[in-house]
Amino acid sequence: MATTTAPTSSPSAEASQQGKHRPDRNYRRRQRWGWLFVAPFALIFLSFLILPLLFAFRMSLFTNTLASGTDFVGVDNYVKAFTDPIFLSGLGTVAKFALIMIPAQMIVALLAALVLDNLATWASKFSRLMIFVPYAVPVVIGALMWGFLYSPRFGPAADLFNLVGLAAPEFLSQDNIFGSLVNIVTWQWAGYYMIIIYAALRGIDPGIYEAAVLDGATDRQIAWRIKIPMISSSLVMVVIFALIGTLQFFTEPQVLRGVAQGAIPVSYTPNMYAFSLAFSYSQFNYASAISFALGIVVFVFSFIFLFLTRKQSGLK
Amino acid sequence: MALVTDTPHRQGGQKARSSASRNRARNGGPRIGSHIFLLILVIYFITPLWWLTVASTKDTAGLFGGSGGPLWFDDEFHFVSNIQGLFERQDGIYWRWLGNSFLYAISGGVGATILAVLAGYGFAKYDFRGRGAFFGILLGAVMVPLTALVIPTFVLLSSVGLVNTIWAVILPSLLSPFGVYLMRVFAQEAVPDELLDAARIDGAGELRTFFQIALPLLRPAIVTVLLLSVVGTWNNFFLPLAVLSDPLLLPVTVGLNGWQALSNAGSGGEALWNLITTGAFISIIPLIIAFLSLQKYWQGGLSLGSLK
Amino acid sequence: MKATYLATAGIAAAAVVLTGCSGGSDSGGGSEAASCTNTIVNTEAPQVTVWAWYPAFDQVVDQFNNANDDVQICWTNAGQGNDEYTKFSTSIESGSGAPDVIQLESEVLSSFTIRDALVDLTEYGADEVEDQYAAGAWEDASSGDAVYAIPVDGGPMGMLYRQDIFDAAGIEVPTTWEEFEAAARTLKESGSEAVIADFPTNGRAFNQALFAQAGSEPFVYDSANPQEIGIKVNDEGAKKVLDYWDGLVKDGLVATDDAFTADYNTKLVDGSYAVYLAAAWGPGYLQGLSDADPEAIWRAAPLPQWDAANPVQVNWGGSTFAVTEQAGDKELAAKVAMGIFGNEEGMNLGVDAGALFPSYAPVLESDEFATKEYEFFGGQQINQDVFLDAAAGYEGATFSPFQNYAYDQLTEQIYAMVQGEKDSGQALDDLQASLEQYATEQGFTLK
Repeated sequence: MATTTAPTSSPSAEASQQGKHRPDRNYRRRQRWGWLFVAPFALIFLSFLILPLLFAFRMSLFTNTLASGTDFVGVDNYVKAFTDPIFLSGLGTVAKFALIMIPAQMIVALLAALVLDNLATWASKFSRLMIFVPYAVPVVIGALMWGFLYSPRFGPAADLFNLVGLAAPEFLSQDNIFGSLVNIVTWQWAGYYMIIIYAALRGIDPGIYEAAVLDGATDRQIAWRIKIPMISSSLVMVVIFALIGTLQFFTEPQVLRGVAQGAIPVSYTPNMYAFSLAFSYSQFNYASAISFALGIVVFVFSFIFLFLTRKQSGLK
Repeated sequence: MALVTDTPHRQGGQKARSSASRNRARNGGPRIGSHIFLLILVIYFITPLWWLTVASTKDTAGLFGGSGGPLWFDDEFHFVSNIQGLFERQDGIYWRWLGNSFLYAISGGVGATILAVLAGYGFAKYDFRGRGAFFGILLGAVMVPLTALVIPTFVLLSSVGLVNTIWAVILPSLLSPFGVYLMRVFAQEAVPDELLDAARIDGAGELRTFFQIALPLLRPAIVTVLLLSVVGTWNNFFLPLAVLSDPLLLPVTVGLNGWQALSNAGSGGEALWNLITTGAFISIIPLIIAFLSLQKYWQGGLSLGSLK
Repeated sequence: MKATYLATAGIAAAAVVLTGCSGGSDSGGGSEAASCTNTIVNTEAPQVTVWAWYPAFDQVVDQFNNANDDVQICWTNAGQGNDEYTKFSTSIESGSGAPDVIQLESEVLSSFTIRDALVDLTEYGADEVEDQYAAGAWEDASSGDAVYAIPVDGGPMGMLYRQDIFDAAGIEVPTTWEEFEAAARTLKESGSEAVIADFPTNGRAFNQALFAQAGSEPFVYDSANPQEIGIKVNDEGAKKVLDYWDGLVKDGLVATDDAFTADYNTKLVDGSYAVYLAAAWGPGYLQGLSDADPEAIWRAAPLPQWDAANPVQVNWGGSTFAVTEQAGDKELAAKVAMGIFGNEEGMNLGVDAGALFPSYAPVLESDEFATKEYEFFGGQQINQDVFLDAAAGYEGATFSPFQNYAYDQLTEQIYAMVQGEKDSGQALDDLQASLEQYATEQGFTLK
């Protein structure tokens, strides 16, 4: 994970600086300025992240049931969480989402970016902006809107499918809800990822593949053999964003639940489970444990992913 | 960071690259297939927003079955009366919400960016004690779901009497670990140590060096971080939902969601669908305009700041 | 708690640094009046903070503040239902931030009393006003000898139906569930586009009310003995009712749409359902939607019965005012809770402007309310015809201290049944098992 690799670049930087300056008192004293620059952020970071986290972690070590008082139970809540069928099935759900949703977003974003990189028409510029526009829609508003769009009566699906002589699917049924959620997320985020990938593609010096063009390579070959390998570290970062977001999947299913309470149970994803435990069932302690357990899972998965792609991302 | 080791080459490459060289790299001709593909994508991404645009011109009855169908305008055009409705409902509270969203997004976004620039620069250019550990904690902390933080944050805010004030939304949104991360990565590459040392030799203090040498070089990344934090705060939903009870302080996302709940409630409910669709439509316009008019800045910014 | 102090210091420092000279304007949270949606008429008088989401409540607050010199309401609409409960819940957990007086639906009262969040109002004279309220609503707001809230509005149930659809299919208004099923078949055979009604899997209190009509008593609970609970969600009454609806669902005689979505609203007014099994607040809700179809002819009738000779009346929804433990002056707060709608002026405003069905007897039992004509129902006096009897016959119900959990589980089980994954008996047995397990985990003793 980046966490552990971040400092690795500093020894070399340090060495080169020390080579120039020698670790004299002036140099040492100057480094304290770093703290001054970091201090305002550190204050906020401590107040609104670290302390709440410590507080939440402490809560997760206690139990407080409705009918009896608060007890210290140590890691019992975590043992319970990782054997809790509801939490585990929620993890299964987000794992399934990760396997389907991330590739879906990546394919759309990558294809769009590759096509756009090859074009310089007004139509392509216009398309680029239009594909990106959903990113400007707040997630809650987007999910509310899709809730309307999925409604058989309220939304346009029936009309659209009638055009081609088909009956509209029931987007909000148990069988289709998964795909409906994948679609919302893809719609909301693919444009953003596309822009990042596109920006990376624009960063490639065309000189690199001019030779290939002269040799008669097709676009597809250039894309596959030259462009994609060259932007692999961007792709890895985009996937990491998507992975963290997917494992913490919350807002879209929570909002959509407003119109599909049967198909999306309260504990559909681990984050929704934590939310309902805390706010509907007043089990704040166990909810904290579930949140941290999810945090651990996110961390492990991100770490595994970065480890597997260490060659592509350039991380050691 | 290792991720951006080739940045300097690329910047060189970018300068050298002319549109001519790029055109040569392409094998010419209007590409029908590509354009059709783009057309399909555009339709996919735009249709929902088109629906919303059309829906904002209908009254509740029209939404439930107007003459134009869901994807076209009805014979009756209710956009103006819907806007009036937004002004009348609870004395125009919707506009207050929209104003709050602006206030939170801009103050939170600007504040977060300032903190991120300072911290990113500090992390990148000073080798202070505890730097590595702090940065590691910073990245790890991002992994914990926000649901875990709501209760403790509420407890903390309430113990200093800030619950149900604008500070309850603004102060937490000053936190942008990802912004710090981007700034650090960018500052490492874009601000050469030699330049800073030269300024110091000329007798400039650390602050002056930062403001006069580093800050201008960081500008592209600043725009990106600003944009990301403004969008982040504008999207904010969960935190204000928990820490604000006064309806006059809500941002537009929470307010509209409340109307949705009111419309979905049976007992004591009211159907406000036309106000919800119109309100949602208006609320997304400012960011879309901002994105479209500032595209020159953020597209450049993203290419630099988003780890290549 | 050490973490709290550290954090407090950290935040205070951050706040000082970042807000500079903003100090002084905030009075420090808690139940202090921070900002009111309404205008305070008498600024000298002490204020009581109130959270409520009733329609047209601003008028009621103004009326109260004008009428009272010694106390003023500072009102905030902190969200509808669960949104408000989320905030209240967070406030309870953190020990501050709750209002003095709060609107709560009767069904969630025990969920908050078990967290010691509500004040027993008998200390403040609530028992003296008992006879001013409908008996069933009072029962819902009390637990044993304690009274945890003052009832405001109720939801006695009736049946709203489309006269035009019934006529077209030649259907008489059903008075029993047997007739209701026959009507459903006749309607289907007539080739009508409508089904007789919707059976929402997320009906929650609606489903529970239908069970109660057949004698189901899912919970036995008394807040004087908070560690003990009796659970019997799979009793005969519940099984009979759910089996009945399962049959209707399987035969395609009813719809199973989620209630209160935009889609459901569409169907409610476009003739997809011939009947809206509704609570007394339903007519007001329906009117809010109804401008879609001017041709529709709506009428109201009593809820069908299992045994016409022994009618059972049930209630769906209804809310109350409770006083929170965080209230600064509990006596004053209790006075406000009893006083807001506890007078004819206030309650009449609620009825006329907010379409509430009152629990306050002087209004409930007034001739004016009984003979009120509803244009939407072709001038029918629906209170006299339907809802007053239903309200008078309602005897109250007992809810569990984890009612939200129970409802969520109920929704899951009924959904599984509707999907054909299990039959009605199995669904209720599974519900029973999951609630028993939950109660045990939560430290309850099962009775």
